[in-house]
Order: sequence, then structure tokens, then C-alpha cells
Amino acid sequence: MNFLSDTVVLSRMQFALTAMFHIIFPVLTTGMGIYLVVIEALWLKTRKSDYYHHARFWSKFYVLNFGVGVATGIPMEFQFGTNWAPFSDAVGNFFGSVIGFEASWAFMLEAAFLGIMLFGWERVNPAIHFLSTVLVAVGANLSTVWIITANSWMVTPAGGELVDGKFMVSDYFRAIANPSALVSVTHMFVATLETSLFVIGGISAWYILRQRNTEFFAKSLKVVLATLIAIAPFQIYMGHLSAEIAYRYQPAKLAAMEAQWETLPAGKPADWTLLAIPNNRTEKNDWELSIPGALGYILEFKPNLSEPVLGLKEWTPNNRPRLVGLIYYSFRIMIGIGFFLAAMAAISALQWMRGKLKNDNIAQQKWLMRAWVFSAPLGYIAVETGWIVRCNGRQPWTLYDRIRTSDSASHIPATNVLTSLICFATVYALLGVAYLYFGSRIVRKGPNLELPVPGVDLDRPAIDTTPAEFQPDDRPVEAQQ
Amino acid sequence: MDTLKYFLPQCWFAILGLFLFLYVMLDGFDLGVGILSLTSDDEERRGLLMTSLSNIWDANETWLVLMAGGLFGAFPRAYGTILNALYIPIFLMIFGFIFRAVAFEFRDQANRKFFWNIAFGAGSFAAALGQGFALGAVLSGIRVDEAGYFIGGTWDWLTWKSVLVALTLIQGYVLIGSTYLVWKTEGELQETHYRTAKIAAWTTLIGAIFITITTPIFYESARDRLFNPPLLYVFATIPFLGILLISQLLTSLQRKEERAPFIWTILIFVLTFIGLALVVFPYIIPTEITIYEASADPSSLVIMIIFIGALIPVMLFYNLYQYVVFRGKVTPQNYE
Repeated sequence: MNFLSDTVVLSRMQFALTAMFHIIFPVLTTGMGIYLVVIEALWLKTRKSDYYHHARFWSKFYVLNFGVGVATGIPMEFQFGTNWAPFSDAVGNFFGSVIGFEASWAFMLEAAFLGIMLFGWERVNPAIHFLSTVLVAVGANLSTVWIITANSWMVTPAGGELVDGKFMVSDYFRAIANPSALVSVTHMFVATLETSLFVIGGISAWYILRQRNTEFFAKSLKVVLATLIAIAPFQIYMGHLSAEIAYRYQPAKLAAMEAQWETLPAGKPADWTLLAIPNNRTEKNDWELSIPGALGYILEFKPNLSEPVLGLKEWTPNNRPRLVGLIYYSFRIMIGIGFFLAAMAAISALQWMRGKLKNDNIAQQKWLMRAWVFSAPLGYIAVETGWIVRCNGRQPWTLYDRIRTSDSASHIPATNVLTSLICFATVYALLGVAYLYFGSRIVRKGPNLELPVPGVDLDRPAIDTTPAEFQPDDRPVEAQQ
Repeated sequence: MDTLKYFLPQCWFAILGLFLFLYVMLDGFDLGVGILSLTSDDEERRGLLMTSLSNIWDANETWLVLMAGGLFGAFPRAYGTILNALYIPIFLMIFGFIFRAVAFEFRDQANRKFFWNIAFGAGSFAAALGQGFALGAVLSGIRVDEAGYFIGGTWDWLTWKSVLVALTLIQGYVLIGSTYLVWKTEGELQETHYRTAKIAAWTTLIGAIFITITTPIFYESARDRLFNPPLLYVFATIPFLGILLISQLLTSLQRKEERAPFIWTILIFVLTFIGLALVVFPYIIPTEITIYEASADPSSLVIMIIFIGALIPVMLFYNLYQYVVFRGKVTPQNYE
């Protein structure tokens, strides 16, 4: 238990815990933001009240996630200062600026228009409301762009050099457009969208299975499915590109992802292990199940490797990722989910084409709907495992090949970090339980299809100035008390 | 080039000052309303208090996120050192934020609201307390080594001065929260907050007087500057202006005006801020590190002025637009 007195380890644990818990919520809000834009556009175009009620129903999940997302996001920003002060000082020139860009470009936009999106249905005209929904989605996704750009720069630093322990930027645009930025931003952007769509699809399927508002939820399932057919296979390709970047710029990470201890020479076919038990001490795999000659096809779509794949032994143990098994299996789980979700989209699309997803027969697709419910949380698992690979694979560096993680942590007493870590673990456990409880309550309660549609059956003026006590109380019954 | 070396950090000092001021003003009333909700014994009234914030609390809090992001980019060393030194107050604030942020939605959903009421009120209080300690600790000095890294102890931030600043800040938040509620509510709820505003105006005044008196006595490095022209004239006028503004505030409360108390309170905040900025400048960590020593590379500061500074008018515009959309008294919202 000597890690309990190691500030660096504890700070890493705290960052990992807070980041892994935090990411759950923005993943949904960024992806669902786009879905809400589509739904509202459909409503404005067709004027079918169903789409309006979809917008209202799903924005309940949006706001639930948004609240927890903000609450858990603030600690992320502050931890750079509290727990990673030397890192912040060293990379402030670039990394700090980008955090500032994220707040000013993304967070403020999302926060300011969210109020109008949620509560402004009767206060602004539909065009302004739609614009607000668009800006909320833009804000949410811009935060993906900036934060992943910052993280990509930690993975593949560019645009400057370390001078006396401080990163001096010579070219901001090269630093922003660092080698892994575009692929990483796209990979994460699609991940948030895909995860959210499977959550929406899974919840819709749950209602269809119970034959509650079947027609209503068949709509959302189809909107989701139409998008997923395109993005689920695309995501696999983006994943492939991400691995190629690791191959090129972070060979030690690739070696850990594949639990490859020995260097594989170029110009020859190479085996690919499907499963293995990596052993850090003996520097080999205790057991492995490999597919002969597959690695060349996986990395380059051809039998022979054009460049050698370096093995972990090329680096001394303190210069390569340590948690090989974790990285290896996280990587495989992510890939497995990626393929499974793409298959889900393909099979569902096939059933749709065969006319099996019509309003009157969709409820008979019991196994397919169950599979959708089962798929709802899978995107989250893929996101988490993907980030485990990304950040553990970067070790022992925070800024790859330049600043060590052990030199990045603040010099604070371990007991302080242990205390805050325990507080985070406790509070987040409570939040997680409350979130699931209230989320499932929203699901059980279902959509309110009686909600008056603005511009159709609304008899109140656009801006309500009557004093509160003369107003009909149209909150849900339990809120009225 | 040399002028640039001075001008750019000064620009960022001003921009961060603006962000911090907007934060303290906007989230100030936000947190103030949260603290006031602790005294409310009626579920419906508490609901109205939270409704008065539901569309804006997050945007208000974002000014702090923006300020921190700007500080990180513009004065990286100060960001690291200050947050490192203030580990406990910062996490007190963060956990306060967490509880109050989730309370908005969770309380709305919950059948038994008791826990989330406490989470909202106590969370607001903890966040304000953490901020007060942080501000007090920065003003009373942080121990650093030659390179500017924090070398003090875990509990350095806890002094009687930081306690005084924290208590006064909480009074200030309660004051601006009360005047906000006077503006946004009516009837009995408004009456209550005319009363709380009056009490808070007096307690804030007492705290402010203490801080004003003790600053030149205990803040040695500032003393020379404060008691010499040109700052002397400024500091001679601030107390008079302060008393004038507070008397205006009390008069407007007496006359039951609806908007004027909020505006007078904002002016009091502006005045306090100018005073603080003049005491602190040109330090970012008084009196150890100046903004020139802590600042990022000039090229970073320029890029940040382009990418962030240019957005300030836009951010102000759409935030203001929000207030226009949700103008008028708070009503139980049509929210399902």
C-alpha cells in the first residue's frame, strides 16, 4: 500500500477517476445536442407535434446530463493547477491558452443558450429557439474540438520546443493542427455521437418492447438508425487511423496495445494476437492466441509490414507504458464494441429495408429491440476503454517524449491528495447513483404528449408578465405541493 | 519590444479582472440566492428561488471557468502556484459547486426534496466560503521560493484575515442575492428580501470597514504605495464613495424601489473591485510575483487576445440577450 504515500500516483488516480466519471456526461450532451437540432428541424419542417414532443422529452436527459457534466467538469480545469502545477507552468503557453479558448468559444456559448433552449419555448419565436438549439450543439461540440486538440498536442507535441523547462511556441497553428489532432477530434466527435445515438435508440427500443408509445419511439429509433448506418462503419475507419498515428508517432503505445515485446522486422508478415496474458516481469506473454500473418493487414491492409513494428523491449522499463495488460485489453474491448455496434446498425438497417420496422410490426422484433437496449451503455464502455488506451499508452510522459508524468505533479502532501481523492470517490458514487435513479425515473415516466405545442395550441402571450399567483400552475403534480 | 512586455501582461490583468468581476457579480447573486434559500422554510418559495436562477446559473459559473482558463494561459506560473497553495479552499469551492449544480435538476425530479435543498444551500455556502478563503489568502500573501513555486504549508491560507475576507464576501453575496430577488420576485418573497438586503448591507459595510482599515496596517508592502500620491488620492476617495453608495442603497431599499438596490449593489462591487485591483497591481501573487514575471510568452498573450479577447463583446452580448429573454418577474416555470 505504499502508493498511498505517493503524491504522483494519488494525483494520477484522482485525475483518472474525475476524468473517467466526467466524460460520461459530456459524451451524451455533445452527441445528443446534434440529435436535438435534427429533431427540432424536423419539427419546424413538418410541424408534426410528435417531433416537438421528442425535443421536449429528450432534452430532459440533456439537462440531467448537463448539470452533472458541469459539476464534474469544473474539477478537471482546476486540477491542472492544484495537482499538476509544474505541468501547467511548463505548458501554459500553449495548453493554458487552449483551455481558455475552450471556455470562451465553447462553454459560454453552450451555457448561455441552454437557458433559452430549455425554458424559452414560449418566450422566443421558433427561429430564435432553433438557433439557440443549434448554438448549444455548436458550443458543446466546440468543447470537444478544443479539449481533444489540447490532449492531442500532449500525445504528438508540435509547434515549438521546450526551453529551460518551458514550452515555447513558435507556431500556434502547427501546435493546434498537430499530427494527431484531426483524427483524434473526429474519432471523439463520432464517438460522442454514436454513443448518444445508441442511448437514444436503446431507450426507444425499451418503450417499443413494452409497447408504450410504439409509434412515437419508432420515429426516434429510425432517426437514430439512419445516422448510425453512416457513422458506425466510419468510426471503425477513424479508429484504424488513430492506431496508425500511434504506429507512426508513439510506437511504444502501439507495442503495448498489441502486447508486442519483440520487434517485428519490416518486409515480412507478422502475427497478430487475439488474446494474450502479458507479463511485465518476464517481458513476454505467458500465453497467447495469435492469428498468423494478420498484423500487416490490420495496420496497412497488406500482408507484409513496410516498417518495423517496435517491441516493448526496445525501451527500458522506465521509458515505456507499464500497464500493458490494461492497455491491451482496453484496446480489445473498444474494438469489439466498435464492431458490434456497426453490426447492430447493419442488421437493423437490413430489417428496416425488409419492412420489419413498421409501426405495426416493429414491436415483434423482440430480439432486435433487446439487443438495442443491451447496446445502450456499450458506447460509454468503448469511450472509457479508448481513453484508458490513449492516456496510459502515453505514459510515462504527460507531454510525450518531453515532460515526464513524475515531474508534472504538484509537490503537495500525499494526505491532501488522498483526502480529496476519497471525497471525490464518495461524492461521485453518490452522484452516479442519483443520476441513474433520476434518469430511470424519466424513462419510466415517459414522454408527456399532452404538452401544448407552441404556435399551435398555445393561448398565452409570448412573454408572460402576469404575476405568479394568477398563473395556472402547469408543473407536474408532484412539484406543485 | 519592451513596452510590449509590459503592455501585454497589463492587458491580461485587465481582462482577467473583468472576468473575475463579472463572475463575482453574476455568480455572486447566484450563490447569494443559494445561501438565502437555507432560510426559506417553504417548498414553493424555495422552488421560486431556484427557478430565478435555472436559466442563468451555468452561464454565471462559466465566467469563473473562463477566468481560470485565462489565468492558466496568461499567467501559468501564478495559476499553478495559487491553486497549489489553496488546495483546500479550492476543493471546498469545487465540492460546493458540485452539490449545488446537480441540485437544480435532481431537486426538480425528486419527491423528497430535503436532501437536495440542503445540497443547494450548503453547496452555495461552501463555494462562497472557499472563494472567500482563497481571495483572503491571496491578498494576505502566499509563500513561494525564488522560482515562484509554492513552498508554504497546507493550512497557510487559514488566517484571521482570510476568515474576515471570507465572511465579508459571503455578506456581499447575500446582499447582491437579496437585491436580485427584490428585482425578480414580488409579494411576500420580495418583502423578505428587502429585509435580508438591509441586514446584509450593514454587515457588508462592517466587514468592508474592517478590511479597509486593516489592509494598510498589515499589508506592509502596499502601505508605501497607498500612502503616497497618486494612489493616496484614490484611496482617500474610495471610502467616501463607498459610504455614499451604501447610503443610496439603503435609501432605495427604504423606498421599496425594485431595481435600484441591485444596481447600487453592483456599483458597490465595482468600487470594491477597483480598490482591490489597485492594491494588488502590479502583482499577481502579492507581493511575491508580478504580472510581468508570471506571464506567458508574449506571443501566447497576443494569440489569446485575438482568440479570447475578441470574443468578449460577443459573450457579453449573448449573455445580456439571455437576460432580456427572461426579463420580468419569476414565475413557476412551464417546465416538464
